[in-house]
Amino acid sequence: MLYNLTRRGVLFVYALLVIVPLVVVVAGSFKSTPELFASPFGPPSSLDAKNYATVLGGEGLGLAFRNSAIVTGLSVPLTLFIGSLASYGISRIPGWRGGLIFGFLVLGMAVPAQANMIPQYVLFDLLGLTNSLVGLVLINIVVTLPIAVFIMTGFLKTLPREMYEATAIDGSGPWRTYRSIVLPLSVPSLAATAIFLFVMHWNDLLYPLLFIQEPAKQTLPVALLSFQGEFLTDFPLLFTGVVVASAPIVIAYVFLQRYFVAGITAGSVKG
Amino acid sequence: MTHQHNKAVFDRRQILRGAAILGAGAAAAACAGPGTVRGGSRGPASQASAPAPIGTAKVSGDLSFAHWRAEDKAVFDKIIGDFAKANPGATVRQDISPSNDYQSTALQKIKGGAIGDAFTAFRGAQFVDMAKAGLFLDLSAQTFADSYLPKMARGGKDVNGRQLGLPYQLVFNMPIFNVDLFEKAGVSETPRDWDGFLDLCERLKGRGVVPLAWPGGEPANAGQLFNSMVMNNQPSDTSCADIESGKANVTDDWFLATLRQYAQLRPYVEPNATGTASEPLQQMFATGKAAMLATGSFHMSPIRKLGAKFPIDLIAPITVAADNAKYVGIHNATFILGVNAASKKQEAALRFLDFLSTPEVASVYANGTGQHLTLTGVEYTNRDLKATEPWLTKNTLLAPRFQFNDLDLRAAVENACTEVLGGKEPEQAAEAAQRIVAQRRRS
Amino acid sequence: MTLTPQATQTRPDEVDQTGRAPRARAGLGRRRPSRINRPHPALFLFPLPALALYIVFFAMPTFEAVRYAITDWDGFSPDYNNVGLSNFTTIATADNLFRNALFNNIKFMLVVVVFQTLLSLVLAVFLVKNTRSSVFLRSVYFFPTILSSVSVAFIWKFVYDPNYGLANTVLGAVGLDGLQSAFLGDDSKAIYFVAATQVWFHVGQMMVIYVAGLQQIPAELYESAEVDGATRWQLFRHVTWPMVAPATAIVIAYTTVQSFKAFDLILGLGGNPPKPSLDILSTRIYAGFANSEFGYAAAESIVFMFVIALVTWLQRRAVRVSQGSA
Repeated sequence: MLYNLTRRGVLFVYALLVIVPLVVVVAGSFKSTPELFASPFGPPSSLDAKNYATVLGGEGLGLAFRNSAIVTGLSVPLTLFIGSLASYGISRIPGWRGGLIFGFLVLGMAVPAQANMIPQYVLFDLLGLTNSLVGLVLINIVVTLPIAVFIMTGFLKTLPREMYEATAIDGSGPWRTYRSIVLPLSVPSLAATAIFLFVMHWNDLLYPLLFIQEPAKQTLPVALLSFQGEFLTDFPLLFTGVVVASAPIVIAYVFLQRYFVAGITAGSVKG
Repeated sequence: MTHQHNKAVFDRRQILRGAAILGAGAAAAACAGPGTVRGGSRGPASQASAPAPIGTAKVSGDLSFAHWRAEDKAVFDKIIGDFAKANPGATVRQDISPSNDYQSTALQKIKGGAIGDAFTAFRGAQFVDMAKAGLFLDLSAQTFADSYLPKMARGGKDVNGRQLGLPYQLVFNMPIFNVDLFEKAGVSETPRDWDGFLDLCERLKGRGVVPLAWPGGEPANAGQLFNSMVMNNQPSDTSCADIESGKANVTDDWFLATLRQYAQLRPYVEPNATGTASEPLQQMFATGKAAMLATGSFHMSPIRKLGAKFPIDLIAPITVAADNAKYVGIHNATFILGVNAASKKQEAALRFLDFLSTPEVASVYANGTGQHLTLTGVEYTNRDLKATEPWLTKNTLLAPRFQFNDLDLRAAVENACTEVLGGKEPEQAAEAAQRIVAQRRRS
Repeated sequence: MTLTPQATQTRPDEVDQTGRAPRARAGLGRRRPSRINRPHPALFLFPLPALALYIVFFAMPTFEAVRYAITDWDGFSPDYNNVGLSNFTTIATADNLFRNALFNNIKFMLVVVVFQTLLSLVLAVFLVKNTRSSVFLRSVYFFPTILSSVSVAFIWKFVYDPNYGLANTVLGAVGLDGLQSAFLGDDSKAIYFVAATQVWFHVGQMMVIYVAGLQQIPAELYESAEVDGATRWQLFRHVTWPMVAPATAIVIAYTTVQSFKAFDLILGLGGNPPKPSLDILSTRIYAGFANSEFGYAAAESIVFMFVIALVTWLQRRAVRVSQGSA
């Protein structure tokens, strides 16, 4: 019937819209620049992995990859932890105090990075945290706390009050409640937030560009930019970089998504 | 529903709290008077005399060389290797930022001293700002500065005549052309006036190629053509600076005349020119589908890498009658080398600059990257550099677009030209640009 | 089964130790203040780490920036002048570039919010079941989010190129020559094409949120409505739409802020600094720094923040009004 037809049509067209440019990119990574322009859609004339050798080799993305992994691997769990603590506190502190903390933290979402990046640079410089991966972890946490708190508080608010009241009668303190009841229940929101944070931290361009001066400490997005010279962009090389940088995250997502979906169906509280 | 209502209460409060906090913060801030700047303890550019010239002693230590040319990395690596051989114990690390970001953030990073014991500056606004910020060590007394062509070295002097930097690269910001295609179109020598130029375009069009490939979609490169179009039209060599200072206006006759000439180029650029970036056009030019590429000599090397085999030369549209033409082309001396006044390794940095300024090393750089340099004694073995070598001595003007210190103002002026080429009426474009120019002047 | 508002009735187990009944509820939906609901002091420790980090590394630098907004500091000189509110008056009255950026940003935001929200919801509804094909398609649609903005900008620069790019080539191949255009070179439409790229970039992310929200809707709600004979559209309008209200709120708020901050994409597609047709507020501020006008750029940031706050607030009202009828 019409609905099914529409559904399949939309899904198909949009799938094409996503897949085609990406296929062009992957195929393009095997082409030379003239070939790329001459036949962008066609398959590459040869599976010449020359670009991959350049990208994965010594001068390539290997080091940047490791740096991105370290920074993201630290900042996502830390942001989740600190953020969920804050969200729990906010959702349980009644009255204007909870609202105040929430508003204060979430207001940060409205602040553009350009507004405070220079004072932040100066502060980090003072503390010796520029040009360091630790500094990047720190700024990642700070800058994404607002959105993390926003999402997690939103989900926490949907948990029914009876649950808290029941545990309060039990006599357990807030830490017990948090650890044994709230955390397990908020797995869906933690997973959703984790995906958000992961993508944001992994792909952040501005702060690594601003803070990191040494090429050895660059993260992936900055390293990708180096494929663009002052006057010339080597598209096939750039596309290769895109593929190499993205492949692991895609794999990670495929697995993460399984847990995510399972978390939703297993952890939801029926009304 | 309860949830909704709680949320509503939250939001109003949240906004109020937020506003209160910001307000309090702003009030507190307002109470703080004008004052000190933490961090940048560097005072105004030192007025002390320039450091004495370095001797011939070998240096050691780890240097940071900050620049933006990722495409030169390999060549610099080789040069650095040679430098290290000549100075055992010395290493140079290249700290490369993409060029746009270099323009925006290099000043802050280098000021702190973390990078850039030796560094580079774009000609124009960045050099002026960096000089004001006192980044440069005075090079006036250095002997290697004498290796530079005086006409070119001028670009590295500050308002007091001190040689703060040495422009290294010499580029010609004028269109490059496919010599074979010109010949096939029956044109044996480049036109000397505007009618001749239009005639050339007609002939090329008649042969089925795009006469002038112009990257209207990319503001940075779209503005290269601007240089040639105004060089002979402008009443004085500093007209662009005059526009910025208020002595001249975008609505002046000569500029309107320039815009009208832009309008005449409309049929000769590629279709949808305002949406095209330079890479596809390089492709078009390299495969012989376009006869001229309206960017500059810096694209000769990339074109070769795309497989082009035809001879390439430079051309500038002459917008006036042949005998009124003051200039036949445009050059720019950029990639200004400097030493960080806050660096702890100044001697090593000076030695590195000295190394780069020797003819042998300079030749390696020039031929490896396909660029001309501002030094004397450079030997060009690269085919295109040799072919265009005559331009080093022709009567070319220093690219006027870099006289603009305010990037927004420059963008507005160049954008007027882009819009006209794209179809807008010259008078309208000029007026719109003038409004922005007037606003930017107050700052 | 409908959701009952919380705590409508006094429940026997909530009578406290002294035997007194809890105080009567004060008005609709407000929590009953009672001893059980008084906050445990340890609760205040929970937000502490977040607040500490946030204040030191975020709030304080922002105040610094505010401080500079009333000066003419250029970002590197050791001294500067206090110019009071003149930066702000200039922004309000004598800066065409800022005004242009503001309008561009609003156009951009409206298109992105509307299309990204609708498309992500539609896709989520289509793919809500956890069948293998749905999970696979969800991964496909999510994929662009993973890419860095630099990558997306370069991909779409290639797509939008009028001479060699994918868009015009495909349009020509399927006979839609009339739709071919200069894309980013078309001054009046360029911002919408970038909006399309932004939607492509992030729709998968929002779809994930919607899927989570949709999957929390109890099946019984649909079943009982279907038993009553509701059509698919009615199911959507009266069950799905109200039930995903929290997700919608998150999606709209996040998409709005995201579109105000679409910095890397604009620079990648529109140049640095971007051409006027693609200039938005965040790039305008960045251009201010690049132009050594730190004080002025700081003032622009303040205005920027207020614009975002205002728009977000207006949107929440609009969403609430549309929910109020549900």
